[in-house]
Amino acid sequence: MTQQSPANVEFRQVGKALTRTDAPGKTTGRTPYAGDYAMPGMLHAKVLRAPAASARLKRIDASKARALEGVACVLTGPDLPDRLAPTDIPGQTGQKRMDTGQPILVRDRVRYFGEPLALIAAETRDIAEKAMELIDYELEPVPGVYDPEAALRPGAPIVQGKDNVVASQKMRKGDIGKGFAAADLIVESTYTSQFIEHAFLEPEVGLAWVDENEVINIRVATQVIEHFRGIADAIGVPHNKVRIRGAMVGGGFGGKEDVTVETYLAVLAKHTMRPVRLEFTREDSFLGHGKRHPFRMTYKTGVKKDGTITALEVRMLADAGAYVFLSPYVLLYAAVAAPGPYRVDNLFVDGKAVATNNMFTSAFRGFGGAQACIAYEQQMDEVAAALGMDRIEFRRRNYLKTGEMLATGVPIQSAVWTEECVDRAMAALGAPSEAPHPAARIGRGVAAYQQSYGRITWLHDTSECWVGVEVDGTVVVRSGVTDIGAGQISALGQIAAELLGVGLDDVVIYNSDSAVTPLAGTTTATRALYMTGNACRMAAATLRERLVERAAASFGVAPGDVDMAGNRAFVIGRPDTSMPFVDLVKLCAADGVHRSELAIFRAPFTDPIDPETGQGQVHPDYTYGAHAVEVAVDIETGEVTVLKSIGAHDVGQAINPAAVEGQIEGGAAQGQGYALSEEMLYEEGRLVTPSFSEYLMPTSMDMPLVQSIILESRSGLGPFGAKGIGEPSLTPVAPAIANAVADAIGTRVFELPITPERVVNAIGEKQGVQT
Amino acid sequence: MLGEFDLEIPDSIEEALELLAADDAPAPLAGGTNMLVDMRAGGTRPERVVSLARLEGVRWIAERDGRIAVGGGTTVSDLLQDERIAEHGASLVGAARVFAGQMVRNTATVAGNVAYGSPAADLVPPLMALDAGVTLMSKSASRTVPLADYFTGYRQTVRKPDELIAEISWPKRGAGMADLFYKLARRKGDAITVTGVAVSLALAGGKCAGVRIALGAVAPVVMRARKAEAMLDGQAPDAALIEAAARQAAQECDPIDDVRASAEYRRHTVHMLVRRLVGQAVEHLR
Ligand SMILES: Cc1cc2nc3c(=O)[nH]c(=O)nc-3n(C[C@H](O)[C@H](O)[C@H](O)COP(=O)(O)OP(=O)(O)OC[C@H]3O[C@@H](n4cnc5c(N)ncnc54)[C@H](O)[C@@H]3O)c2cc1C
Repeated sequence: MTQQSPANVEFRQVGKALTRTDAPGKTTGRTPYAGDYAMPGMLHAKVLRAPAASARLKRIDASKARALEGVACVLTGPDLPDRLAPTDIPGQTGQKRMDTGQPILVRDRVRYFGEPLALIAAETRDIAEKAMELIDYELEPVPGVYDPEAALRPGAPIVQGKDNVVASQKMRKGDIGKGFAAADLIVESTYTSQFIEHAFLEPEVGLAWVDENEVINIRVATQVIEHFRGIADAIGVPHNKVRIRGAMVGGGFGGKEDVTVETYLAVLAKHTMRPVRLEFTREDSFLGHGKRHPFRMTYKTGVKKDGTITALEVRMLADAGAYVFLSPYVLLYAAVAAPGPYRVDNLFVDGKAVATNNMFTSAFRGFGGAQACIAYEQQMDEVAAALGMDRIEFRRRNYLKTGEMLATGVPIQSAVWTEECVDRAMAALGAPSEAPHPAARIGRGVAAYQQSYGRITWLHDTSECWVGVEVDGTVVVRSGVTDIGAGQISALGQIAAELLGVGLDDVVIYNSDSAVTPLAGTTTATRALYMTGNACRMAAATLRERLVERAAASFGVAPGDVDMAGNRAFVIGRPDTSMPFVDLVKLCAADGVHRSELAIFRAPFTDPIDPETGQGQVHPDYTYGAHAVEVAVDIETGEVTVLKSIGAHDVGQAINPAAVEGQIEGGAAQGQGYALSEEMLYEEGRLVTPSFSEYLMPTSMDMPLVQSIILESRSGLGPFGAKGIGEPSLTPVAPAIANAVADAIGTRVFELPITPERVVNAIGEKQGVQT
Repeated sequence: MLGEFDLEIPDSIEEALELLAADDAPAPLAGGTNMLVDMRAGGTRPERVVSLARLEGVRWIAERDGRIAVGGGTTVSDLLQDERIAEHGASLVGAARVFAGQMVRNTATVAGNVAYGSPAADLVPPLMALDAGVTLMSKSASRTVPLADYFTGYRQTVRKPDELIAEISWPKRGAGMADLFYKLARRKGDAITVTGVAVSLALAGGKCAGVRIALGAVAPVVMRARKAEAMLDGQAPDAALIEAAARQAAQECDPIDDVRASAEYRRHTVHMLVRRLVGQAVEHLR
């Protein structure tokens, strides 16, 4: 169900729910994923993982495994060059953060449960598994630390650095002392969020081989083909000797943003000089990639009786797990997002990401901004309740508005339609549902958000795209962009088709090859459409200019009088003065007109923000929107049923509204799991939810029909005024559900996930207080 | 990986029983929705497996001698499509409806659910409350054991290695009787039960009769709350009595803490759900 407004009036291809270019292949099963590739003589790899979270590797002996028939290669820490695994964000500026030095394989210290000890390549997967059992090693337990607060205490076991602090982030604006002094009321609460898992349909998988030019080719499921550089550095070969060839990706959500199987594949292929395939089982996947950071967030808000926020003090503590990975950036996003889409003149944020012996944490859709939203939107409800003011009215009095300044002291670049989105989502909830049984209570909640699209501006992000026209009038787009299921490449097709006046069916897109498609950057940070879409628009627009000029010459009019649509070029207002697009292309070919164009789009480039104040530009721009839900809570058992779920987002311009709807529906489901049922539970670092029977994502039985309301301010920095929706659609869902549960039961569960047990306990505590 | 094993695929029950009588005690495999999961996780490593998939005459539902009988190979989906089950086993239908997801329901069997011996098996509480009996058959003999006596400990049952569950049957239900089941889980599809409660009772002359309260996932085995049943039997059920019986049921159970829920919460929900289900049964019959 989708409402789109305003109605699409300007475009011929863009803004329409066209069948995506990737749809037929996926529906018929013809689309190969990385796991579908095989090569003659291919070996099968396995990763041996440490069954302890904090230990010293006293010895490791692979001789028995190596002696097993059919084993081609076993590598352990000492066999690898003295280099580190690539764990930092790929950036064009060589931006570096503190490195925690994760070796590719454990050398002496195991820091998290499942850390890789050895790599095996064998003729069959069975042999590789048997070889795994033959590797002899001894682990000596070392005291570990499993809670970020404990990790900060004096005398705590040190996992990283000198004090376990892997990142700190400050934001300072105005004077909170004065702000609190001016407040009529101060509300302080602490919200926590849990470890969660990306749980993409397709576990990590890849196939690597060394070609005749000694280039290590890696066919892999990844969001980031540009890791080829980090992989080359890690294994000690020049950058041009590693080539990543992507494939359609079966889901990423940030979990395929870091390097996963690539380095293992590269070293095994290099050692054996044979093709090597590595496929993670679901169990490997649960242990093998970083999780979402659990956050502990204390919000202290000062308000006036009229609802004006006078001060906000925020303290955030994130569990970084055993290695740094993207923790500093996740923390930065959380700190920037801390006040939410509200005007806060006096702001103080202190955040820390702390190393523990838990699973390392890294990118996950929403990237810190989602955790912040969990806190700021629950806090908005808590403050409204303390004031005795309607939740929406309280928000209304504090919304950031178009043209105002962000908390980082820079002006907002685009329209801010938070109020419209909240109002539309709330209105769409309609009349309250009847309670389905006597112990059920109905509750409603909403959450608004501000979530960036585009990468951190001091990474100096760029994206390239090539567009060309064949002599038969068909169009080719080449872009390194990886498509992780959201329709990233199909969107490029719609953009090129729009500008060249052809249909989407006339366009073929080649993507995701680090050696032969123009590098487009990562499919992360809600940047693919913004960056690559702009590069595609620029290339296609240049081409369009040349074609139009040639057509104008033929028609004997000025180029401004010519348009192209429906595979024809024509004079505006004189449709009979026209020619087929193919004829125009042929004319151009005959004249030697350049029928292709490689364009580069550059995001705004800035210097890093002031570390003491957090003031300065961090992101190119932000998406604004809201999610509203209605729930029924069984007050006896604590079960929560989501009855209605509505996302309303200003996406700037929907390139393909069906794809936008897909993001909103997916965000609604993923956010619902985040709110209610999903949790990676670790006991002393050991994963105790190792399968989908313990790790509970919502099923179709748990999901209501999700309604998508797509608003289009056409004010974004993306192509045709688009913003981004990939991450934003998830961000407000969990806090909206938390607010709805609180509304239903009259008290709040401050910890995610809101399990039935926690609901019952919260109700019990409230009654305990009352009696 | 499943490991290596020999797979026998007999066509008849006789052949299957013959195979099971061998000294190496091969494992029977029905829908595989418990067993293959265990094998993949390395929990069970049978060397020989006897598939029941091709057996003739194990997938049926019958009404005979005042009883409803279900063949061991009947699937959970089959239970949802039979009018006799709907009439004489409303609680069993209730359990089948919230059992796993469609794909698993289509292949999971009734015998497999019982034989596996999980305290969280969803068909067991309703069957136990219906006073079901389990008919075990071996090459040489056949015996029927009350389901309430079938489980001897966590994942332990009275079944001998050479026996198959041939059928499960229970007395037909009639007017004045109500059978209810509630599955409490962490989500609504494909979830392991946190607390399962089945209530069967009759109301005669305003008094409860034949009260059965069976509890799933709150003890090492699916259990009956016999003291709670006794409090209600022969009594006119008012709110206070139902509340007291529900509290009693919560005391009788013996739950554990696990990743799904704490023992304390499970006890609380036994209290809430027994009260709710007995209340609904009584209300329905009045
Ligand atoms: C995704 C998923 C969801 C699930 N959800 C639920 C749920 O909601 N509720 C629930 O209760 N269960 C659930 N289960 C567990 C499982 O589906 C059921 O217990 C099912 O009834 C088992 O039946 P089966 O035929 O698949 O048994 P199998 O796995 O084939 O066998 C199970 C055990 O029974 C033995 N066995 C099988 N048939 C016989 C026989 N005729 N005589 C003697 N022994 C026999 C086998 O040797 C084995 O030990 C779920 C499983 C999965 C994978």
